[in-house]
Amino acid sequence: MEQKENPCPHTGVLNIIDPEYTAHPQPAYARVLANHRVAKSIAMHSPILSRYEDVVFALRHPEIFSSEMDMQVLLGTKRPMIPQQIDPPRQTRYRKILDLRFSRPRMQALEPELRRHAQQLIDGFVERGECEFDQEFAVPLPCAAFLTLMGLPQEELDLFLELKNGIIRPPVDPMDMIAATEFRMKTGERIYAYFEKAIADRRARPQDDMVTYLTTVDFDGRPLSDEEILDICYLLLLGGLDTVTATLGCSMAYLASNPEQRRKLVAKPELIPNAVEELLRWETPVSLVPRVLKQNVTIGDVELREGALVNILLGAANVDPAEFPDAMNVDFERENNRHISFGAGAHRCLGSHLARMELRAALEEWHKRIPEYQIKPGAVPNVSPGIREQLYLPLVWSA
Amino acid sequence: MGVTVKLDHAKCVGHGRCYELAPEVFGEDERGHCTILVECVPPEHEKAALIAAANCPEDAIKLARS
Ligand code: HEM
Ligand code: SF4
Repeated sequence: MEQKENPCPHTGVLNIIDPEYTAHPQPAYARVLANHRVAKSIAMHSPILSRYEDVVFALRHPEIFSSEMDMQVLLGTKRPMIPQQIDPPRQTRYRKILDLRFSRPRMQALEPELRRHAQQLIDGFVERGECEFDQEFAVPLPCAAFLTLMGLPQEELDLFLELKNGIIRPPVDPMDMIAATEFRMKTGERIYAYFEKAIADRRARPQDDMVTYLTTVDFDGRPLSDEEILDICYLLLLGGLDTVTATLGCSMAYLASNPEQRRKLVAKPELIPNAVEELLRWETPVSLVPRVLKQNVTIGDVELREGALVNILLGAANVDPAEFPDAMNVDFERENNRHISFGAGAHRCLGSHLARMELRAALEEWHKRIPEYQIKPGAVPNVSPGIREQLYLPLVWSA
Repeated sequence: MGVTVKLDHAKCVGHGRCYELAPEVFGEDERGHCTILVECVPPEHEKAALIAAANCPEDAIKLARS
């Protein structure tokens, strides 16, 4: 059957919501890299950067490629989220206090509980011989870790998922932008209200958790205001849940479809940390990040204008043959892997140490218990655009 | 003859690849940014130091053979 080419070879327009692309974007990335130094997104034809060199340049030059943009329509926010939607040097001051709480040793302390939780989830379905991986594993595991990190009660898991989904996938007709925006703004109000209560509560009854830390930390000689704390918590809610869920789903979909690769990990579990990096590179679950131009800039022979929205296609940069030898080959023993799945430059993912711990522990626990599995025959993948979550991933094995 | 490591502090943003891949050579400060534990790398850790440098997404680590 003939297929419409993506990106369009004549216009360089990339359809970033095409289901075939969201499920397997790498061939399209390769075509963009080969033919279109500045491609265009199907959304408003905004420019796309894809070469590793251009992407890293953009991420390291926030004075040109700014993160300060109004995303209220898409995120339900009243103010910019901290630190993602503000630029250095102000952003760096917030990172200084946040980095301390997301350091590797602090995240490693959460590992035993996370492993126990992974085992419990597996116990729940191992004898059934099948599960729907997204809902039964990839969603609950990182959410529980997030609640522990924040010091919020586990009973609020469902509420959290409802709030996060209300922003990311509002339950309205996908074509009805006005209804979606209204729903997001209402959900945003609920998120602010929820954390306002948590902040007031921790001010009255301090505990050893993230919210208490934010109420007490010294920020350049003053405490953070309630608004600042809200703008941080809002971001943690949106940034800390979906991303790990999406990475778990993409990694397992790959391993389920490539048994010879999976068997390498089962035979040599010490390969898992490196495999996690290679799967992050190959799948790039956060496939694209936005920036807005603060000055005119020329990329190749294309001039981009101040004020333009630019899509930074991390996924394409991660398969750029100019940076990665044998880029289209997934190699769990790859030695040089400067992938940028956690971004680069000032906004490098705050949660990367947490995410790496979760991914390694989850893959280890899973493959100890369920080494052989496959995607249920006939199942059609359903992967969301942007943050590539496998929304429906039925796995089967012999119990 | 040996390998020496240099860190460009202005580039490091704390990906942490270096101190995971070569813990004998690189450490972390309390923010998770890189610190150099041994400037002159003993031969048995040379390979690890090379791999660490090749995995730093910020290109913040330079190795030199002296
Ligand atoms: C595998 C999972 C994850 C991936 C792939 C991922 C990816 C990313 C990327 C690409 C960025 C850069 C965004 C930009 O430059 O505009 C980022 C930033 C961020 N991430 Fe993650 N992330 C993950 C997990 C987490 C977790 C678990 C948390 C928190 C609990 C988190 C919190 C953040 C925050 C707060 C920022 C903004 C940092 C700043 O702007 O200074 N992420 N993440
Ligand atoms: S890998 Fe590079 S950016 Fe990351 S901590 Fe080490 S030196 Fe810094």
